[in-house]
Amino acid sequence: MTPSAASRVPPGEGFIAHVGRRSLEAGRALSDVGTWTPLLAIQMRRLGVDSVPIAIFIAVFTGIVLSLLSSYIFTGAVPMYFVGALVGKTVMMELGPVLTGMALAGRVGASIAAELGTMKVSEQVDALETLAYDRYSYLVVPRVLAATLMFPVVTAFAVAIGVGSGWITAINLLDLSTAEFLKGLKQFYQFKDVWFGLVKSASFGFAVALMGCMRGLATEGGAQGVGQSTTSAVVLGCEAILVLDAFWALVLL
Amino acid sequence: MRRSNEFAVGLAVLAALALVIGGALWLSETDVNQKQASYKARFRTVGGLGVGAPVTLRGVKVGRVEAIRLVENEWVVTDFTIDRSIELPRKPAAISASASLFGEWSANIIPLEPLPEDPIIRNALIESDRAGGEAWPGATLPDIGQLTAQASRIAGDVGDITQRIGQAFDSTALKNMQQSVKDLAAISGRLVTFANAQTDRIDRVSENVATTSDAFAGVAKTFEGAVARLDTATSDNQLRDIVDNSRSSSADLRHAAADLRSVIAAARANETSLVRVLQAADSLMTRIEAGNGTLGMLASDSTLYRETTRTVIQFRELLTDIQANPKKYLKISVF
Repeated sequence: MTPSAASRVPPGEGFIAHVGRRSLEAGRALSDVGTWTPLLAIQMRRLGVDSVPIAIFIAVFTGIVLSLLSSYIFTGAVPMYFVGALVGKTVMMELGPVLTGMALAGRVGASIAAELGTMKVSEQVDALETLAYDRYSYLVVPRVLAATLMFPVVTAFAVAIGVGSGWITAINLLDLSTAEFLKGLKQFYQFKDVWFGLVKSASFGFAVALMGCMRGLATEGGAQGVGQSTTSAVVLGCEAILVLDAFWALVLL
Repeated sequence: MRRSNEFAVGLAVLAALALVIGGALWLSETDVNQKQASYKARFRTVGGLGVGAPVTLRGVKVGRVEAIRLVENEWVVTDFTIDRSIELPRKPAAISASASLFGEWSANIIPLEPLPEDPIIRNALIESDRAGGEAWPGATLPDIGQLTAQASRIAGDVGDITQRIGQAFDSTALKNMQQSVKDLAAISGRLVTFANAQTDRIDRVSENVATTSDAFAGVAKTFEGAVARLDTATSDNQLRDIVDNSRSSSADLRHAAADLRSVIAAARANETSLVRVLQAADSLMTRIEAGNGTLGMLASDSTLYRETTRTVIQFRELLTDIQANPKKYLKISVF
């Protein structure tokens, strides 16, 4: 198609064609199991396991703050065992997945965008294709898949640590016993609280990794372009997390 | 390197799975060791009872609500899990009730016999028990929310009334009220003026009343003296003598009255004789009046009277002559 002919294509048709082309590329890349499978464990380690410390760090303080805040809110009128309910529900359903997703958007999204952007500007991506590696199979699929699989794992750790730190805070800093905290925690617990947070975090991982890959592979220029792609990947990842959070709240609650 | 990556990832995934599954089982209090038994209860409505709500026996938590579902004939069946070690009542029933003001509900196990005194609960349990089956009969206590809703409706009504009062007391009504207050103030002023004008008269009347009061006091003092004298007389037994005399006179009067009554009784007894005497006298008088008989003739003929009178005169003259000349008429001889 010549540029003059492309300019005559309606915008909507161009977008649909773009989506179709990307879908075909994604299907082809996914089907290329032999290329991305050996890389999956490495990406899972890098994006997931190596992110657990930062997620735990955030979760510890999230649990502490939630416990103190809820005791401040409930003082007087509401029984204190509601602290357990609030900490559990909030960490499992909202703050655990979202704060972990935000942290990983900075760490993972920036890492992916910077890595792929550098490869792009240094023409390593072109070199891979010269060696008959599909860029999506080799670079995108393992990262997106690893993030989608590992975000829930990291979130599970974060939730457990967050609830635990809230519990410890409640029994040490608040006038609350373990029995009271667990009463509130168990009384309002539903299994949906857990899988809701894990499903959300999986979608966050998918979005963050996809944004990082997209911005990284779209990098132009030199180091400045890499920096812009990194910044853009983090911002887009955070925005995607918030949009998806609202979407899942609408759909699943 | 590749093996270490796989190991780290596998460890993380397994740990996360263990956390999620173990945490879910622990938080949901899932009965892994089959330490709990399942029961069912049938309600018309469960109120605010939800899955996970505690099941209590005499106030102690012994289980939890596992499921709630609608069934045929407009019943609601709840599934409970209760610790097997708990000794339940011989014939248990379940009461769904609000556990606190914060929307928490619990299912309380009670013995069906004796039935609760509350008629609503009693009827609900009887109806649920009548449906049969293995489900326990169940009843639901009114929610605190219903009470607060009622209070809310009352508050709404009060609000409406307040609003209507506010509408009634519009600016015109307010002006009228202000005018009324002004009129009342003017009337009060006039009353004060009138009271001031009547003060002298009232003072005079008060003085008269005081004088009268003094006179009454004097009278009272005199009366008091009389009473004192009376008291003195009473103390000398004079009054008693008077009273005794009066009592004696009364006795005499009573005797006289009794004699009079006996006389009257005797007269009444001789009434027939009197009537007869009177009749005879009447007949005699009639005859006299008619001039029959000696007396009649004497009464009706004056000649006889004159003759009689002359005879009497002559008789007196004779007696006088006899007294004067006895020998002329009397002759006494012995032989």
